[in-house]
Amino acid sequence: MEFLSLLDLTFFLLAALGALVGIVFGAIPGMTATMAVAVCLPLTYALGLNHGLALLLGLYVGGISGGMVPAILINIPGTPSSITTTFDGYPMAQKGEGEKALRVSVIASVVGGLISAAVLFFFAPMLADFSIKFSYVEKFLIILLALSVIASLSSNMLVGIFSGVIGIWLSLVGVYSTSDGGNGKTRLMFDFMEPYLFEGFSLLPVLIGIFGISTILLEAEKGVKNELSGERVKLGKGGSGFSMSIFKGRLTNLVRSSFIGTFVGMLPGVGGSAASVLAYTQEKNLSKDSSEMGKGAPQGLIASESANNALTGGALIPLLSLGIPGDSTTAVLIGAFTLQGIQVGPLFIPENVDTWYVMMTALIFANIVMFFLMFYAIKHIAKVVMVPKHLLFPIIVMMCVVGAYAINYGIMFDVWTLLIFGVLGYVIQKVGLEVAPLIIGFILGSQAEVYFVKSLESAGTFSIFFTKSPIAVVLWILIIASVVFSILMGLKRRKVSREEASQ
Amino acid sequence: MLVSKKALAVLGSAALMASMTVGSGIAFAQDGPLRGNIRVVIGSTSTGGDTYQNSSIVADALSEKLNLNMKVDAVGASSAFRTLDRDSRGNTLMIFHDQSYLGHLYGVEGYDDIFEKYTIGPTVAINPGNAYLVPKDSPYQTLDDIIAAVGAGETVRVAIQPGGVSEIGFSALKNAISIEHPGQEDNLVAVNTGSQSDKNQQLFDDQADVINGTVQANEQYTRLPEDDQKAMRFVWLTARQDTIEQAPEEGLGQTTRQQLLAYVEPNVNVTMGGDESFTFDKEFFFLYNKDMDPAIVEQIDEALAEIYAEGEIQETQKNAFFIPNFKPSDEASEYLQDKMTRYEGIIENIK
Repeated sequence: MEFLSLLDLTFFLLAALGALVGIVFGAIPGMTATMAVAVCLPLTYALGLNHGLALLLGLYVGGISGGMVPAILINIPGTPSSITTTFDGYPMAQKGEGEKALRVSVIASVVGGLISAAVLFFFAPMLADFSIKFSYVEKFLIILLALSVIASLSSNMLVGIFSGVIGIWLSLVGVYSTSDGGNGKTRLMFDFMEPYLFEGFSLLPVLIGIFGISTILLEAEKGVKNELSGERVKLGKGGSGFSMSIFKGRLTNLVRSSFIGTFVGMLPGVGGSAASVLAYTQEKNLSKDSSEMGKGAPQGLIASESANNALTGGALIPLLSLGIPGDSTTAVLIGAFTLQGIQVGPLFIPENVDTWYVMMTALIFANIVMFFLMFYAIKHIAKVVMVPKHLLFPIIVMMCVVGAYAINYGIMFDVWTLLIFGVLGYVIQKVGLEVAPLIIGFILGSQAEVYFVKSLESAGTFSIFFTKSPIAVVLWILIIASVVFSILMGLKRRKVSREEASQ
Repeated sequence: MLVSKKALAVLGSAALMASMTVGSGIAFAQDGPLRGNIRVVIGSTSTGGDTYQNSSIVADALSEKLNLNMKVDAVGASSAFRTLDRDSRGNTLMIFHDQSYLGHLYGVEGYDDIFEKYTIGPTVAINPGNAYLVPKDSPYQTLDDIIAAVGAGETVRVAIQPGGVSEIGFSALKNAISIEHPGQEDNLVAVNTGSQSDKNQQLFDDQADVINGTVQANEQYTRLPEDDQKAMRFVWLTARQDTIEQAPEEGLGQTTRQQLLAYVEPNVNVTMGGDESFTFDKEFFFLYNKDMDPAIVEQIDEALAEIYAEGEIQETQKNAFFIPNFKPSDEASEYLQDKMTRYEGIIENIK
């Protein structure tokens, strides 16, 4: 237990400060955990490795969970991985259950974070060996499985799939980067667009635009009415309507989603947003009653938030036992080690046992701090919805613009992207297309492409997708089950509505 | 335990750093032509890579010497070039390595001729770690085995990232095979990949026989037991022997300088025709906007000359496994142009 001597009050203060700053970053649309870690990275020089790691891991945990706040309260995912949180969180907030939604999410987050930390601690080297069994083919299939949520998420399956395809198409705009093994050429655009769209549309401005700006446009269309009195009643004395009984019968969901999050985090190159989408799909497919999901069901929040916080531990697995970051934030985190001249690779843990224990301590402590900070601050945070809309909306728009401008360190086109997709999001809903499938297509599309092309490139035949490995076969079974299930659900829904109509 | 003043100061600065993304920092007063907040963009998106690490060392030393704010931003090559294009005031500088002209030689989209379009600044360091590895249980013991096998008609697959530093060693190897075993060079096949983890994965999946890597990223893999699926072995470091000889004696991780020297010329020979043997040092240097005030070029040259004369930065660089290599702008520009011409020949030969 020599590492205990490395822990001091400053260590814990830094981890707590990290969690706090991280939550703020996560909660401001357009600022992400990755950004928070990147900004504070040079501080590790001054702080030394252990204190630096405490701060950075705090930022990481805080940043990922902070994303739930705007997702629930104003329908803007604060981080890409909280996208599925908006599906049920915002409807709940609209029903006046914002506080309840936040509490459910915070608990799910801390459970997800701690489960993944435990997995990291006990099984890291073993799981790293398992994760390298996932080659391009399996990674493509994982993403395909996550994409299959489109079918079950849409209210009209054909329209949903069409929207999803549009999303994928939009994600392919821009260069097929040589660092992804592409040819470095741009596509799906005219030459004059190249200076702006060389790297395609940035993810976050698109997300914020399509969710946030379009919501505001839809609200603006309704005009400002005085809806406040009603909401005040709902938020008032009656309490938040939250009790631990919400989690009754949801334990399987909680644990399953946490493991899905950890697992997806563990696969290098499969982005974090796939984790919450996948967990959400599985809850939708496997739970006894998923009819309320998407309309404001706590079970959706549990799936989404536990999975996205479980990413943290998961993404650290390949980082610490292979030297390969599991997601974009850990890719920045790796800089803390290189700046200190510490090699990360398969021998990192055995050669840096103290650092390893220090990181585990920081990770668990940050999760606990995050929980207390958020759980007790929720009452105040939830009051955001009580701010009159004519004041709230301009502030949100301003924050969105600042966030979009900042995300790639000052690219004006990102602000245009925000506005373009804001208007697009508004129009899409007017013409009856579906936003959620479109955005999931957009998030996962480019990854799917890269792995699809690379699989074909290395095998030279389509049959590789079916014959690569037993893992691939299992994934196909899951994909087929997911699709069949959505079709059955769709048919059932149609039957029910027909019966209702005939009565 | 009480919180020390230093800890409080650090906590405060942490909060300040966080708030700095929203607002911009305050410029301090300086004397030279370079003033305000300086952004150093780099040609890599990774903060865990050598470009970021090396640029941070240099930017730190410079900001202290010139008493200005400097921040390294890992924006990636195409963004970095475009950002540099937009700013002729000198508030944006770029640090990158040989990729900047190799990309152009290989005809990669987004790479122009840097010698025409930009002002070349001083070189600062070499990363001697560019390496080629095989699985630990590979039948190929040395690079000569590989050259002989390809010469005998065997197909050998090499995982690289096309269009730059990762490919130049592959091109040289192909060129050497075409000289030693004419007509057989097409048996050396490039496997297109991206990041280092992708290249490693190709080796684990048995989709490649050789991969491009680095001493820094792959050294630990070479110490795994042979029965581990992940175990690898170095067969070639492209750096010059002189370069590796300047590395610290203890080398990197648990691989000593002596051990590393076994993988460079003249122990490993990749012919360029005649007596000449191919070597490649990955060098880091500054790039400036062409219209930037020449006084700034001079100012940075002078500041760096002073920093290198003091000798402290060399220690920091060596500890991080970089070989210090300061050349002022004029010298650097000429030197790099010569270097480019050398490699242009190889790339032309195998087209």
